[in-house]
Amino acid sequence: MTLSVAIIGSGVIGMDLLNKISRSPLLNCSLLVGRNKESIGLKVAANLGIKTDIDGIDAILASPKPFDVVFDATNAPSHAKHCELLRPLDTLLIDLTPSHLGKMIVPTVTGSDVINERNVSLISCGGQASIPILHALSRNFQINDIEVVSTVASKSVGRATRINIDEYVETTQLALRYFTGVENIKAILNISPADPAIIFRVTIFASIVGANIEQVTSITNQAVESVRSFSSGYSLKGVKMSEERVSIFLDVVANSDVLPPYAGNLDIINSAAILVAEQYANYKKKKSEYK
Amino acid sequence: MTIIINDSTMRDGQHAVKHQLTVSQLRNYATAVDKTGLSIIEVGHGNGLGASSYQVGRAALSDEIMMQTVRDCLQNSKMSIFMLPGWGTISDLKKALSCGVDIVRIGTHCTEASVAEQHLGWLRENNVEAHAVLMMSHMALPNQLAKQTELLVSYGAQAVGILDSAGNLLPHEVATRIAAIRSRVNVPLIFHAHNNLGMAVANSIAAVQAGATVIDGCARGFGAGAGNTQLEVLIPVLERLGFKTGINLYNLLDAADIAERELIDTIPTIDSVSIVSGLAGVFSGFKTQVLKHSINEGIDPRDVFFELGRRQAIAGQEDLIIEVVTELKKSLS
Repeated sequence: MTLSVAIIGSGVIGMDLLNKISRSPLLNCSLLVGRNKESIGLKVAANLGIKTDIDGIDAILASPKPFDVVFDATNAPSHAKHCELLRPLDTLLIDLTPSHLGKMIVPTVTGSDVINERNVSLISCGGQASIPILHALSRNFQINDIEVVSTVASKSVGRATRINIDEYVETTQLALRYFTGVENIKAILNISPADPAIIFRVTIFASIVGANIEQVTSITNQAVESVRSFSSGYSLKGVKMSEERVSIFLDVVANSDVLPPYAGNLDIINSAAILVAEQYANYKKKKSEYK
Repeated sequence: MTIIINDSTMRDGQHAVKHQLTVSQLRNYATAVDKTGLSIIEVGHGNGLGASSYQVGRAALSDEIMMQTVRDCLQNSKMSIFMLPGWGTISDLKKALSCGVDIVRIGTHCTEASVAEQHLGWLRENNVEAHAVLMMSHMALPNQLAKQTELLVSYGAQAVGILDSAGNLLPHEVATRIAAIRSRVNVPLIFHAHNNLGMAVANSIAAVQAGATVIDGCARGFGAGAGNTQLEVLIPVLERLGFKTGINLYNLLDAADIAERELIDTIPTIDSVSIVSGLAGVFSGFKTQVLKHSINEGIDPRDVFFELGRRQAIAGQEDLIIEVVTELKKSLS
């Protein structure tokens, strides 16, 4: 049994999702919705034999049988509308915009909590890269403050992220606070036009009471390994400590047929989205077998 | 022709004292400079609203306290604040409005103007005077800068311009950049210099002669590394060239003396590391952290600056310093 899946958004995120879905035994993409008939994304999908449309959310709603899963790769304000319109249907909406409307999901932290939800949020690339580690550290130590600095290559940042840059910062902060219980949180986003493009990097600073570098490194390594199980380009570059301030350096190389290596920001959030959909597929499968 | 002067002493100057200016320091300088006839006074963390952080340094005071303190001292000059999207958000802008800010200047890296669309639009909807500047402007060609400023104007910016954040540009390079922008946009143009190569006043003059009408400076050049354009030099030089500033010379010199006595630990000088930082084209604000990490690891800070330049580090990427220092150390061992 495979789940029927649709994607809204035919930009680079939508194209990478399409590619990742085609490799999944549990998911079958039957519709890609864009805005522009001439867009490369829609043409590529059509060549692969996938139905395409430019009718936005209406194309999704027009499907005679509701999709099991819809990936939303548009922008935060559009997502709010999509969420309202899909609510009555038996469809899981997976949000890749920084709208923070749905339940926040970090696969290695929340597991398959998604089964009772209709709308889940993947937060942001910086959130996916930092929360697994900070959640683990916060369960072992008292943390006084946290700062997460993400640097992304300009070429990997589309218009939707640029006009939603405040939503990116605020949603990342909200999620960091939610998953760690730490009040004093700061998220920062740098966009670098360096040529050759810079690989997505994330630096975490945290004041951790009673921290020692061996313990922090070991907890961090465990969290990194679990993320690598679904996002293989995620890696720890180093851990440094001075007094009780810990600095953790990470980067994410995209391992994707579609994305260039520097676009790890898109790869990690898309990989998380696919994992969430697969966890949901497994749940649906078990449920139908039980019946 | 009248030139509008933007005094950045209490904003960009903060880099020189790790963003530690106190309430009484802000009060003393703001009161003195308000008497000079100077148009715009900037205040805040060196990297702007919402920037206080481990990454670039934590300020002694909150954004609100800084703005409220300076607001209470100003009767003549306008108060301006700076904000970088990705660091501050519209919720910070709302705080600034409630603190009585007159002008908001939104900054982006010189090729990334499109991240300012949200904020410039919001400012104009709320009837706030909105300016926009492109940072690290040596990293883009004149024509690219012109296109980026066109975008900023289309988002609602009422004045646009460029910052030579690394102190890398020479006067003819400033002139071609301003001229290219002048040919594409029809709002007042802003220029902001750093003095790493001793060019801050000369570059500001080149900018004015090419059509810029809003020029930044700091008392005694107060600012990161080699410092900014020295305000009390710039203004009389502009007057001698026939430009009007409306600023009273004696009051200006008095304000600069107060800054020297009460704000400035060490008057900026063009030391060896600052020359290298300018040549390498690295953000001037990196200096403190580059020195700290280089000395800790026994690495030549000049090598660190050249490597950061080679990697095209932009303002805000201070976490790259530790990585570069670590890698240079590895390559030496």
